[in-house]
Amino acid sequence: MRDDEILTGAILEDSCLTLDQLAGACAVSPDWVRVHVEEGLLMNQDGDGNGEWRFTRRELWRARHLHRLERDFDASPELAALVADLLEELESLRARLQRAGLR
Amino acid sequence: MDFKDYYQTLGVARDATAEDIKKAFRKLARKYHPDVSKEADAEARMKDVNEAYAVLSDSEKRAAYDQLGQGHHPGQDFRPPPDWQPDFRAPPGRGYSQAETADFSDFFAELFGRTGGARAAGQDFQARGQDQHAEVLLDLEDAFNGAARQISLRVPKLDDKGRIALDSRTLNVKIPKGVREGQMIRLAGQGGAGFGDAPAGDLLLEIHFKPHPRFRIDGRDLYLTLPVAPWEAALGGVVPVDLPDGGQLKVRIPEGAQNGRQLRVRGKGIPSDPPGDLLLDLRVVLPAAETPRARELYETMARELAFDPRAETGV
Repeated sequence: MRDDEILTGAILEDSCLTLDQLAGACAVSPDWVRVHVEEGLLMNQDGDGNGEWRFTRRELWRARHLHRLERDFDASPELAALVADLLEELESLRARLQRAGLR
Repeated sequence: MDFKDYYQTLGVARDATAEDIKKAFRKLARKYHPDVSKEADAEARMKDVNEAYAVLSDSEKRAAYDQLGQGHHPGQDFRPPPDWQPDFRAPPGRGYSQAETADFSDFFAELFGRTGGARAAGQDFQARGQDQHAEVLLDLEDAFNGAARQISLRVPKLDDKGRIALDSRTLNVKIPKGVREGQMIRLAGQGGAGFGDAPAGDLLLEIHFKPHPRFRIDGRDLYLTLPVAPWEAALGGVVPVDLPDGGQLKVRIPEGAQNGRQLRVRGKGIPSDPPGDLLLDLRVVLPAAETPRARELYETMARELAFDPRAETGV
């Protein structure tokens, strides 16, 4: 590849990741994703109406955090999900502060 | 190459039990975990802690480390013996991905190999390369005009002898107009190299914006505090607003607008598809009564307007 070559990527729109892509992007096994969806800890969407799972970039963020929390704290999936919920809420509150010009 | 004292990193004695090591790791993880920590260098510290724990929590790696590290002190120059072959068949363990162990120190790489074992998997082994993540910090203006960014990466890849080496690369990436906070750009095939004939992983770039001195960003929408004079708010008027793309917008302030009122200008936020809105928070700013003329005007209003701002609050 030449140094001056400019790469153009694809923007991940909502609900565009397949199960394998999500697993690859988080360095987890597809089974890990399947179990977390079945337990209700990750949300999936029906892609093209053919039953194939799709995931949003929000879920990608969540899956990466869940995996890291479970690993680093030996946390049970439910506990990691609780922390991820709190982190999401914290983030949205911080965003509100920022919008209000308070941060 | 500097010797790393993993026991010191975790704050445990050299004869610490596996249980002590786990306890020490958990304590430090709570302190430095990037998801929860408020420490400034949390991410770097957590990386050190993870590296130390990856070695000391694995009895095989710990034994090898103890044997090699005898008599060494942290920071001291260290060379592994010439016959040292990192040959750990176990995967990196504890769910560390190739991308994460690639971030561990050179000391770790020299002792345990970059992936802690992919080399041992043999010639026929095939696996798709791992996806890599990177964050890109943009100015708001970049979302309006598009931009090109240079991204430096360290990506694990197999060298001629089939060993894992770190490949430093710089990529020029086009950032399209209309990108939003938190969005990801996928560059297919720009992640870690695949094993065997398997394809390389992808590079995922996460978009973040630097704080802007005037605009606040929420997804596609932009927020701006717009200072207005009391007469502009009371009588209505047209106020110019400078946009991030260098253009200017004329905004009509409706008659009788109050402080704190929000005006929505459709389609003037981030130019995504569909474009976001621009939300203007009106802030009425009072002129100072510093001159006799200004005082006189305020006194006239006080006399003639019969205005009680507290009439409805019951104060």
